[in-house]
This record gives sequence, C-alpha cells and structure tokens, in this order.
Amino acid sequence: MLKKLLVLLILQVGGVFIFLSGFFPQKNVLAGNAAYEINTKLQENATPPFKKLVFVVIDALRSDFIFDEANSGFSFVHSKLNTGEAWGFTAYSNPPTVTLPRLKGITTGSTPNFLDAILNVAEDDSSSNIKDQDSWPMQFHNHGYKMRFFGDDTWLKLLPPTIFDEYEGTNSFFVSDFQQVDLNVTRHIPHQLKTKNEWDVLILHYLGLDHIGHKGGASSIFMPDKHKEMDGVIETLYKDMDKDTLMVVMGDHGMNDVGNHGGSSAGETSAGLVFLSKKLSKFAKPSLQKDTKLPMSLDDPSTYKYLTIIQQMDLVPTIAALFNVPVPRNSAGVLIPEFIQLLNTKVGDTKLLENYKQLLEVAKMQDIEGFLDEDRISKKVDQSKIIQTMKQIQQTIIRNATDYNYDNIFIGYGVLVLATIGSVVFGISVMGISVPLSITLGIAALIGFSCFGSSFVEEEHQLWWWIITISISSSYIISLISGRGQFWPHFIVFFGVRLIRGWNNTGQQTVYNYVISQQLQQEPAILWALNIWTVFVVCIRDFKGNPVSFISSFTLGMMVMTYKMSWAIVNKEGMPEYLLDITRKYCVIYTGFNDESVFDQALIPMATLFFRCFASITVIKFIATALKMQKSNTLMNDMTKYITLLLIFLSPSANIPQYLVFELMRYAITPIMKKQYSTSVYAVSLVSLVLQNFTFFQFGGTNSIATIDLANAYHGVSENYNIYLIGVMMAVANFAPAIYWAMFPWAIIYNRCDKKGTTFGKNKLPILIFSCVVGCCLLAACVALRYHLFIWSVFSPKLCYYAGWAIFMNVIMGYLVEGPLLMFN
Amino acid sequence: MSKKNKNVKKRVTFSDDTTISSHPTHKKKDSNYDRPPVYVRKTLTTVPFHLLGLLYYYVKISNNYETLMLLLTLIPMQIAYLVFQFNRSTIYGNKRLKVNIPLLFITAGGSVLLSVPAMIIIILFGAPFVEHLFQTWLLALHASFLAYPALYSVFNCDFKVGLWKKYFIAIMIGGWLSCVVIPLDWDRDWQVWPIPVVIGTYLGAFVGYSVAAYI
Repeated sequence: MLKKLLVLLILQVGGVFIFLSGFFPQKNVLAGNAAYEINTKLQENATPPFKKLVFVVIDALRSDFIFDEANSGFSFVHSKLNTGEAWGFTAYSNPPTVTLPRLKGITTGSTPNFLDAILNVAEDDSSSNIKDQDSWPMQFHNHGYKMRFFGDDTWLKLLPPTIFDEYEGTNSFFVSDFQQVDLNVTRHIPHQLKTKNEWDVLILHYLGLDHIGHKGGASSIFMPDKHKEMDGVIETLYKDMDKDTLMVVMGDHGMNDVGNHGGSSAGETSAGLVFLSKKLSKFAKPSLQKDTKLPMSLDDPSTYKYLTIIQQMDLVPTIAALFNVPVPRNSAGVLIPEFIQLLNTKVGDTKLLENYKQLLEVAKMQDIEGFLDEDRISKKVDQSKIIQTMKQIQQTIIRNATDYNYDNIFIGYGVLVLATIGSVVFGISVMGISVPLSITLGIAALIGFSCFGSSFVEEEHQLWWWIITISISSSYIISLISGRGQFWPHFIVFFGVRLIRGWNNTGQQTVYNYVISQQLQQEPAILWALNIWTVFVVCIRDFKGNPVSFISSFTLGMMVMTYKMSWAIVNKEGMPEYLLDITRKYCVIYTGFNDESVFDQALIPMATLFFRCFASITVIKFIATALKMQKSNTLMNDMTKYITLLLIFLSPSANIPQYLVFELMRYAITPIMKKQYSTSVYAVSLVSLVLQNFTFFQFGGTNSIATIDLANAYHGVSENYNIYLIGVMMAVANFAPAIYWAMFPWAIIYNRCDKKGTTFGKNKLPILIFSCVVGCCLLAACVALRYHLFIWSVFSPKLCYYAGWAIFMNVIMGYLVEGPLLMFN
Repeated sequence: MSKKNKNVKKRVTFSDDTTISSHPTHKKKDSNYDRPPVYVRKTLTTVPFHLLGLLYYYVKISNNYETLMLLLTLIPMQIAYLVFQFNRSTIYGNKRLKVNIPLLFITAGGSVLLSVPAMIIIILFGAPFVEHLFQTWLLALHASFLAYPALYSVFNCDFKVGLWKKYFIAIMIGGWLSCVVIPLDWDRDWQVWPIPVVIGTYLGAFVGYSVAAYI
C-alpha cells in the first residue's frame, strides 16, 4: 500500500512541476540596446528639454496618497500642481504589483513576468536581473549621463551597480522598520545637493511608506507623518533645482486597504505619478488638471482614478524623449501626449514615429500582426491618431505577454491525470465505494469546479466555510438519529469555527472592520492574557506521568512568550504595563544593555536560543525514544506539543489565541471521532483536511501572493541570512494553522495502533485523492483560461499556492516529518 | 368513574411517540392504524403559491429590495395560507381540525420569539456579528414566519409530532444553498446581505411545503 501511495505521490508532484515549467516560461526579450532609426541625425543633434533628472520612487505610493483631499499629506506637491509647475497622473501598474517586477516595468517598459513576483521573495536569485535587457538607466549611462542611486537595493540587483558613480542600497526585508530605512536614503541628500554639478541623474527609492502599509494598513496612524516627511524631501530637492531639471515622483505600485499588494485590485494597480519642473508652468497643463484644484476628491474613491490615467510603462519612452536617448527596445510604453509640446514640432513628430516603430517591433516579436508599418503612415503626422493606434498595440502586447511551452504543459497534465486516475482507482480498491470516498470526491469536485471561477478562487474560504457548516450540522443530525445526541461537542466545534471565521479578514473582495484580531489589537491586555493562556494550555496538554515533556514544553513555552512580547514591543504593538516591565527586565538580564534599544538587541539572540532549544529537545527526544528510555507512544504526542509551540512562535501575536480555540475544538472533536465514528481513519483524515484548508484561510491567508506573511519569516536572522532557512520559516509561518490540523490525527489514530504502515496509508489516501482531483481541475482551468484577464492575478497565484501546498504540506510535512516520527514512535 | 374514562377515550392524541400510539388498547380501536396519527395530505393545496408571488414582488416590483415591506406582506399571507390551505390539508387522527384562532396569534408571537434562536443559528452559520444586525434579524424573522404554518402545527400537536422538522430543515437548506452567490464578483445590487438568503429561504420554504408530504 505504501509503495503504491509513494508512486502516485511522485507522479502527482512530478506532473505538477513539469506543468509549471511549461506554464511559467522565461519571457522572450529583444537583446541589445536600442539606437535611433528614423531621422538619426536630427535626433542625435536635438537639444533635450531637460538636462538633469531627479527620480524619486516612493514604494507603494497609491494615487490617493498624493492627490486625495482626505488621505494626502503632500501639501507642497499640491501647491505645485495648482501652479502648473507639476503635472499629476494616475499610473496603472500591471500586476503582479510587487516591487521587483514593477521596477522592471519602470526601467525597461516591458510587461512583467509572473515568475518575477515569486523571485521578488527569493531575492538572491540572479535570473531576474536585467543586465542584458535594454532599459532607460542603461541608455542614460551609454549616453554619458552620470547617475547616482540611493534606496531599495532591488535596483542594484536589477541593474549592474557599475553604471552608478555613487550608490547605497537599503534592505527592504525588515518590514517592521519604517524610520531608519528612509533616513538612510535622506541623509545623502544634503551632500548630493552640494555636489550637484557632478551628477545628471539622481535616483532615490524610499521604502518606509510600503512598510507602514504592510504593518498597519493604508490608514495606519504612521501614514500622515510619513506623507509629510516625503513631502519635505520633495520640497528640499525641488527648491534647489533649476529650470532644466525634471523631477519625477512616483509609486512603483499601490496597496489595498489592508496595506498589501501583489494583486490586481484598483488600489494595488493605481500608483501616483507626478512630474515637477519650473519649466512645465510655461506649457499647457494636462486637460484634466486644468480646472481641478488639488487636493481633490473623487465621486467614487474606490476607483483611485485621479486626473489623467496612463500606463506606468509610458514613463519610459517619455523620459527617453525628454532626455534625448533612444527608447529601450522591449518597452511597450507610449509617449505621454502632453509632453510632446515640450519638444519642437519636427523632433516631436520624429520621436513619436520612432516610438511607433519600436512598439511595432515588440509586437512583431510576439507575432502580433495587422498594424500599419511606420513608413506607410503619411508624412504629415496626425498625432492623436498615431497615439490611438499605439495604445491599441500596447493593449495587445500586454495581453500576449507570455509564450507557453505547450509540450511541457501537456506532458505535465498527462502525468497528473494518470496520477489522478491511479489514485481514484486505488481509493476504490482500498476504501470501497463508501461514504468516506464519496465525501472526499464530493469535496474535491466542489473545490475543483470552483477553480474555473475567478471569484471562487479569490473567495475560496467561503467554500470551505460552506463545507464546514454542512459537515457539522449533518454530523449532529446523524448523532441525533443514532440516538447519541452529542449536542455539546458539536456546538463547541461549531462555535469554535465561527469564532475563527470572524478572526481575520480573508479573501480578496471585502474588508470588515470588526474582525476579532483587530479588536484584540486595540485591547492588548485581553490579547496578551489570551496569549499566555494559549501557551499554557498547549504546554499542559496530557502531561500526566511525563515530567520530562512537562518541563521541556514549559521551557519552550516561556521562551516563546518572552520573544513574542519583545517582538510586539519592537513593532510598537500595544502591551499591558505589567508585561512591559517583565519583558524589559528579562531583556536587560539577557543582553546586559539597559537602554531604549534593549528590546531590539534581545530579539535575535532570543530567537536563536529558541531554535537551538527546539532542535536539541527534538534530537534528545528521538534518542531517548530510540534507546527506550521513554515510554513508547510519547514521541508523537510530545512532538505535537513542541511543533505547536514552534507554530505559535512563528505566528502574528493577534493570531495566537486562535490556537486556544483550536485546542478547545480538538478536545471536542476527539470524543466525537471516537464515539460516533469509532475512530475511522478516513473520517479523521477528512476532518483534518477540511480544517487545514479552512484555518489556513482564516489565519489571513488567501490565494493571492499579496498575503504571504513575510514579517514572520525573519525571526532570529541577521543581515547575512541563509535563503533556505528563510524559505523554510516562511513556509512554516504561512502554513502554520494547516500544520496544526495536519498533526490533529496523530494522537487519535496512531495511539496504540499495531499496523502503523496501513494506518499511515489510510490517513494519506483521502488527501492524495483530493489533491489530485483538485490539481486536474486547476491545471485545466489555467490552460483553458490562459487569456483571461485574471490569469496572472488570480489563477497563477492559486497555481503557486497549490504547488506549494503539494510540496510543503503533502510531501514534506506529510511524509518527511510524519514518517520518521511514526517509525520511531 | 366511567364518565372520566369516556373523557379519556374522547381525547385525541396526535403524538407519533411510539409509547403512546402503539399502546395495545389504542391499537385495537384505531382502524387506520397504518396511517400515522398526524399527516399532511398529498395535494396541490399545500403548494404555497403566494411565496412565488411575494418573491416576484420582492425582486421585480419593489425598488431596492424592501425586505421589511416584504415581511409585513408575508405575515398576513402566511396566516391566510395556514387557514385556507395548510390546515385544511393536515389530518389529525381521522379528521381535519378547525382553526384555533387564539393559537394563530400565539404562534405569531412564537415566530417572533423563534427569530432569536434563528438569528443565533444564522450568525453561527457565518452571518456578520457586529454589522448589519438589523438585517440579520429581518432575515431571521422571515425564516421564522416562513415556518409559521409548521410552527402552528407544532403547537397544535403539543410538540409531540416530529413530522414538522422537515419544514424547518427545508427553509434552512434553502438559505444555506443560496449563500453561494454572495462571493461572485458580478456586482449586482441583489448580492447584498441578506437579499440572496431571503430569496433562498423563500425558495426552500416553497419546495419544502410543496413536497414535504411526499417524503
């Protein structure tokens, strides 16, 4: 049985990964740098309207942050927008709306690749750089502009640092810091202004605003101050600029109301973009800005459409034209029409035609035909008509951004279908055509079919909620019919899942204000009382007659609590006074420091100590069990406790009390499983499967890359971190509740069981069938809907989550962790 | 003594509790023993057509889905349905019973009371807890008054007949199934809480009252 299971599992995972390699191919790009092709002489000799460029990127600067009456603190920028020295736009940034792909878009003008969004997390990867791709910084460098760069080090990973005379990168990964990260950029400004004759281009990239968003959402209390700080930076720079200098202030992407980004909602894709220069006041303002007084308010603020809407990549040909360099080869941008008036008529027409020709080349590379060649356009240039055609070409290019490797797609899909048929046939032969098998297939079919609807993918948690309510109700009705009438256990479970459902905002469509986690954050006294109870309840779980387990779990538990409290204090979460004192004393003893930075200083050593203790307790436990120094059957029970403590360690503090609810539910479900279902392995496995998925979503997870929890992937690591360690921590942190419920069957089915192998196989079978069937539907949906508007923002992230779940939860947790534990048990 | 005994015999019990109905003395005298003591006739009369009419009013005629107005129209129509249709199709023992007028009002009060546990169940099933409480209560009232004829019969049988469970369950299943449209991104004005669930409970009740006699 185990052998067959393993073969099917390998087939499934193998199929999925072959499919992925075909579905996310590297994108086609035109190699080499662009040169002028039309009227070469005229273009080369033209004098550019601007000589100096100050390029300020404020990460996650959503359009309303800079234009809106209620949300914006950029009063200096508003005054300049009103005098006409500044022109404002809302720039549509193509999803995936995370920094690395967006910077690629801003510099090369190309449409981003979905893989870039994933690689944004695995920063060390070198395949994402654009050293071989044409971009405007490269063009500037080649045309003799001297450049300097300060800010997010993603730029230095994308571009060869040698093109900058002077640079310093700041690391974007300590998301909880939003002061120092910006001061590290701003402190360079006075010196740069003093030596402004030595540079032509100054690029600054501020991360603080994005960090505030991740931490506290779009309306965080830290936002207004940050706006003023950024406005002050812009003012300082602007006051020192002459009329030949152009300043660009922009967001690389926006954010949603929770402060996350990555998806394609209006808030995430609407970034602000402002051009400032004293020269601009001589020209006609963009038409929509003419009669508008800034800051403005929108009739429907949820559209985020302020002033003129452009594509963010339009910036690329515009900058190229304004500084007289060729348009980067892969750019899909269209010259912003308002800026053509800054060039003299002949140069303007030529630049437009050049842009047209370059766009056509990009289109031809993607086999897009049917647009007029540039030389067939009449010599008398009709600007608005050309721009209209260019916009059409741009739309087509964006739509066809990727090539698929159909061979791999079909081989992978074939292998997966094989695995699915195999697992279902195997399921029928082992389980028979029985109730558990039909429930497994029913759930799998429901989730599988839902993969074809983008809203159901976005709101998958609703489906799991639906399944849970019907399961508990029908289980109760069954207990009534069979005369046992277990009202209270069922009620406790129902009450527990309802509490968990109200704990966090999940899904991608609605945001409720009254979720429990937010209420708890405003009441730190209650939150931390609950947290302490949670750790206590976990530690105390069946400790009778097992003093070793009792002592070791309490040691770990204390460490978890002190660390989580210091972490919360460092992140300026609320903390009751008495705990603040205790934590301070503990940290002072621990580090020997006694000043404000003591909490900061204590974090890394405390986390390291916890990990070491966890590892050594695990090893000792294994050795003790192997040498039969411990009672048999305690290994899995004790490890469940230790792992739960590790999960608490990696969870956000407002989510920790959820484990208390989990424990409560566990105590209620166990007797139901024993009495009503006579400890059927399949029933336990199905309960575990449903709760794994349900709690994953209610912990704040979604099918969007925006909600990947990064803040908890960096515990106990300093600057020189190991990427694999971070990867493992990130997976554990994001799948934490699912891991808890994957461990739930252990205590029930493995205790005093004789046939370990068979029980293990029975536990894994429903999960494998479910995973295979859903995989078949999801992969089919991705292929069938590959030209769907949401393929990159909804279906592809779901595919990544599915692959991540298959690898981490099913293979690593299900076999590589559970297997050895069971063997030694 | 004999008079007293006579009285006892005249009393009709409608319970389907086996200890009472399978009482040996009872068995002999009841010629229709194969039939349950209380049942609903399989007839078209039980089909609550007025619910479809109300839904038509709710979805097509009323602007902006006036849930409260719908409730106010539902109550008299349910009473009329009970008096003229449902009660006439319900057989107690061997006969139809006349409508018990005071019980009509008591049941109406009972429905209002029932809306509280109904609301708790709705919240347990995932309705928002802090926001839209009034809307949720309206939904609970709708569900309770949809169950009004069944509730009347429950009272009429002194809580001893399990037959009426089906009607409550049908309404619940209708509401439960209808939730599925809420997450869809169609941006329709009827996707607002609790409109789809109100419609779902009506459809559930319609199906329930129509077919419960057959199952």
